[in-house]
Amino acid sequence: MRTTYVRVIASAAALAVFLGACAPQAQRGPLGQIGGTVNVLATWGGAEQESFLAMVQPFEEQTGVQVEYEGTRDLNAVLTARAQGGNPPDVAGVPGPGPMAELARAGHLVDLSTVLDQDAMKAEYAEDWLKMGEVDGKQVAIFIKSALKGLVWYNPNTFNAAGYQAPKTWDEMITLSQRIAGTGTAPWCIGLESGAASGWPGTDWLENIVLRQSGPDVYDRWHQGEIRWTSPEIRKAWETWGQIVATDGMVLGGRQSILATAFGDAATPMFGSPPGCYLHQQGNFITTFYTDAVPGLRPGQDFTFFGFPEIDSNYRETVEVAGDLFGMFRDTPQARALMTYLTSPEAQQIWVGRGGALSPNKRVPQSAYPDDLSRQMAEIITGSGTFRFDASDLMPEAMNSAFVSGVLDYVNNPSNLDGILASLDRVQADAYRR
Amino acid sequence: MAEVARQRPRSAAASLGPFPVRVQSAPVHVAVIVIALLWMMPTIGLLVSSFRPPAMVGQTGWWTAFQPPFAFTLQNYERVLTANNMGQSFVNSLFVAIPSTVIPILIAAFAAYAFAWMDFPGRNALFLVVVGLLVVPLQMTLIPVLRVFTALGLTGTFLGIWLAHAGYGLPLAIYLLRNFFGGLPREMFEAAYIDGASPLVVFFRLVLPTSVPGLAALGIFQFLWVWNDLLIALVYLGGSPSVAPMTVTVSNLVNSLGQNWQLLTAAAFVSMVLPLIVFFSLQQYFVRGLLAGSVKG
Repeated sequence: MRTTYVRVIASAAALAVFLGACAPQAQRGPLGQIGGTVNVLATWGGAEQESFLAMVQPFEEQTGVQVEYEGTRDLNAVLTARAQGGNPPDVAGVPGPGPMAELARAGHLVDLSTVLDQDAMKAEYAEDWLKMGEVDGKQVAIFIKSALKGLVWYNPNTFNAAGYQAPKTWDEMITLSQRIAGTGTAPWCIGLESGAASGWPGTDWLENIVLRQSGPDVYDRWHQGEIRWTSPEIRKAWETWGQIVATDGMVLGGRQSILATAFGDAATPMFGSPPGCYLHQQGNFITTFYTDAVPGLRPGQDFTFFGFPEIDSNYRETVEVAGDLFGMFRDTPQARALMTYLTSPEAQQIWVGRGGALSPNKRVPQSAYPDDLSRQMAEIITGSGTFRFDASDLMPEAMNSAFVSGVLDYVNNPSNLDGILASLDRVQADAYRR
Repeated sequence: MAEVARQRPRSAAASLGPFPVRVQSAPVHVAVIVIALLWMMPTIGLLVSSFRPPAMVGQTGWWTAFQPPFAFTLQNYERVLTANNMGQSFVNSLFVAIPSTVIPILIAAFAAYAFAWMDFPGRNALFLVVVGLLVVPLQMTLIPVLRVFTALGLTGTFLGIWLAHAGYGLPLAIYLLRNFFGGLPREMFEAAYIDGASPLVVFFRLVLPTSVPGLAALGIFQFLWVWNDLLIALVYLGGSPSVAPMTVTVSNLVNSLGQNWQLLTAAAFVSMVLPLIVFFSLQQYFVRGLLAGSVKG
């Protein structure tokens, strides 16, 4: 009964979106004319900001609510200051699960179970996606856009021409890397520079290795601070990564170049002729960096990916993800309407269609994606696998920053792994105390 | 600046025999030009980059722009100037910056005059407190002040941000102006009082006109600080399009992962235009030594 109702609402909303231009008043859908304004604070700028504004435009037409968007890349600082100062935005992107928990426990976030239709959410979002927005059993935030991490990108033109094949397992990938290295070209492009957050692409490597090597349980206990950095599982992950990053000839430019290259520029040599490297590990969002650096690249034809290779066959189906969680800071009718709208497939397919985004909502049709490559990624993200959020973002702030600088230290001097892990253990001992 | 001003009379007097002077000052001039060039190098690089196509900025250094194929473009400027809300935010920035410069300087001038030339109990203790405020990091005050603003309904209003900038600017302004006023000659005040001037007349007719260099310097400082501020605007004013100053709009040109950063090169120069106009129009006050001759004769 309830589901049919939801379906009726959903299709009514879809109709309203499609008919919106011709008859804005005729199809009210679930969101009637409310009027007023709702202000939104998030981290997006540039093209992302334009995509978000395009996404809320049908909402504005349907409800008469004006969406006032504010963007800042320093979301954590600004949001925390404004929430504590009593002047939070109505709706905001949450800077990550760690700050989300702090904001929720301080009582700044509205419990979304009273805002969103729980049955609809359960039908449209995979359980793991909903869980990542829960704090102490309460749904305080929800993903409106998602990202897939740990993909290995390659340029099929040069990769296939050289007779290489996408590996299924880590060992196959190392064998392939050695084979490429044997030809005198570095197999990998890696860049860790990213301003104050430098090192994060390395945390993605390690997280994916832990996830594939020791499984989601160890992964969870690791980011929760329950197992030490010096434990065999975590140490093994660093050593496994070392097969690539700490081995001469495996990465273009060697270790100093890894440290000095911006993450977004790292893979540009992959499209050179002859290519400077063949493989690049990064999240789905890197494709826009590719097309910015080398205009004219076509997704699927000039770049494509294979999933992070399997290490232990028991943990094949686990996927590392990230994304934009949204929470409500003020309980107004406009904010409620906007949250309902943003979680709907109709809203999310707008951004998805503009490129550079994946939707965690299962009801967003595959046809909404602009190319086969993003459809492939969307299939993974709405699939039946196990999802884990980026572990470094789940760690307390102090642990996260020690982790990224540990990555830089390791690349700089791989023989110091013992010292790095021991010092991460010392940070861990303090960082998790409340 | 002071060095140049001091040297000027001497070189003018010696200009009867210009040749030796020119030789004498040549090393100084060369050193000044070299230092100035070194200092401006990053800005020059930024300027050149702002006229280069994005893909090339990422691949080659700006100095390579002067070789063929001489790829220059106005594309970055075009995108910055036509960006969402840029015009409105330029007006907003002016609306924030002008009162936020005038208010604290006006208040600071009164306060500094009192600290420098009026005797009242607790003067030194109060001045110490003001100097002490200089070392309070403004980030510490964000949350408490925001709470007060929220209670008073000042968040998101221009009045709120004027008050905030006035508050953050006052300690340094009072401190600078007190020292400037303190350096005015006592005889000038005595002469004025003997002629029957009230403290208010002395302030407006003597202190302010003779302190124009100090006020102008402070004005430039405060204006630049407010014009370039992003944090205070984001916290107290918010970035909604109707009130967002230019800094907020410019920072939103960049994607959350740092893409499109090349637009910032052009945006930097667009937002630099007005401060440069302010600087050059007030610059003459730095050099002109108004004090010279005020008590002589």
